[in-house]
Amino acid sequence: MMTVENYFIYVIMPILSLSMILIFIRFLKGPAVADRVVALDLLITVGVGVIGVFSLIADDPVFLDVAMILALIAFLSTVAFSNYLIKRNRDD
Amino acid sequence: MTDILIMILSTVGAIFVLISSIGIVRMPDFYTRLSITIKAATLGIGCILTAAAIHFAEFSTTTKVLAIVFFLFITSPVAAFLIARSAYISGIKLWKRSVVDELQDKYDNKNEIPVNPCKEEGEE
Amino acid sequence: MLKYFLLNLLLTFVWVALTGQLNYSNFVFGGAAGFFILWMLTRRSRNADKEYFYRVPKILVFILYFLYDMMEANLRVAIDVMTPNYHTTPGIIKYKLDAKTDFEITMLTNIIALTPGTMVIDIAEDKSYVYIHTMYLTDKKKFIKNLKARTETKLLEILR
Repeated sequence: MMTVENYFIYVIMPILSLSMILIFIRFLKGPAVADRVVALDLLITVGVGVIGVFSLIADDPVFLDVAMILALIAFLSTVAFSNYLIKRNRDD
Repeated sequence: MTDILIMILSTVGAIFVLISSIGIVRMPDFYTRLSITIKAATLGIGCILTAAAIHFAEFSTTTKVLAIVFFLFITSPVAAFLIARSAYISGIKLWKRSVVDELQDKYDNKNEIPVNPCKEEGEE
Repeated sequence: MLKYFLLNLLLTFVWVALTGQLNYSNFVFGGAAGFFILWMLTRRSRNADKEYFYRVPKILVFILYFLYDMMEANLRVAIDVMTPNYHTTPGIIKYKLDAKTDFEITMLTNIIALTPGTMVIDIAEDKSYVYIHTMYLTDKKKFIKNLKARTETKLLEILR
């Protein structure tokens, strides 16, 4: 008999890990800097999901605080990177 | 009953995340990749966190989850807009099978895509 | 308009305080009860007072509609990703805005960006055009007409 906890450990977590690996392939390959920034942003977004599933497995809602902070930081890093891209383009 | 609901929601969320990650590897150019990934991932994370809120069923946890989903839904379009604009200005080209590019006359992006193949509709 | 919203909020809190259960279904029920009571009380008053009671159902319908649109477009993109060939015909088109203020443009941009396949790339200097990148462009006029009728008109109806 499959409990909910086993379902999370053996089905959901592998799917999320597989998608993290795929995103990391794009992060390594990405021809331009912008591709890497998007891959990084998506990596952090999936990380928020992983933390949510982990808080379900551990049965402890404290981990959701970490997810909230991570969701805010991801936005800031993307804004900073795009600002940098525009500035670099204007300089040369 | 609650268990089945949690399972369905988290499975749907995980599948959306998987689709967006396959999309970011497979899609041909930067703009199509961006427009697939950001939204599918946001929807998937929303489903997973909703499953967490249903599992805990507490007032404080539900508020936290609502705050996270709200942040994601507000910030991810803004981030996508910023990175797409700076990518276009810094000269990342569109896919060669794109149909039309009407932004070309504002910034010179050096695409080989026609500016306006469809006839401009008359001034009404 | 604002007066009735605040009254509705006050009635909600009174309901929650009286029943003493702090959870979401109680909040929602209190809000619905307060809305219904205020609606009954203003049945015979001026039209300007009744505006709030037309607007709230419209907002709810718009949110449901938007969620439906988003699910449908997501499934379309998912099928496109999973099947081997590319079915996309991407392009950037110019779209004339009816929205005037910054807030309206921001809301419209967010909604366009959250429906998969479309995304705003740039805004003209004088805020009269936006440049939209879309993945399924077959007929330009039809796309613009569709976007105007299905999204922008409804959004402006709510916000103005």
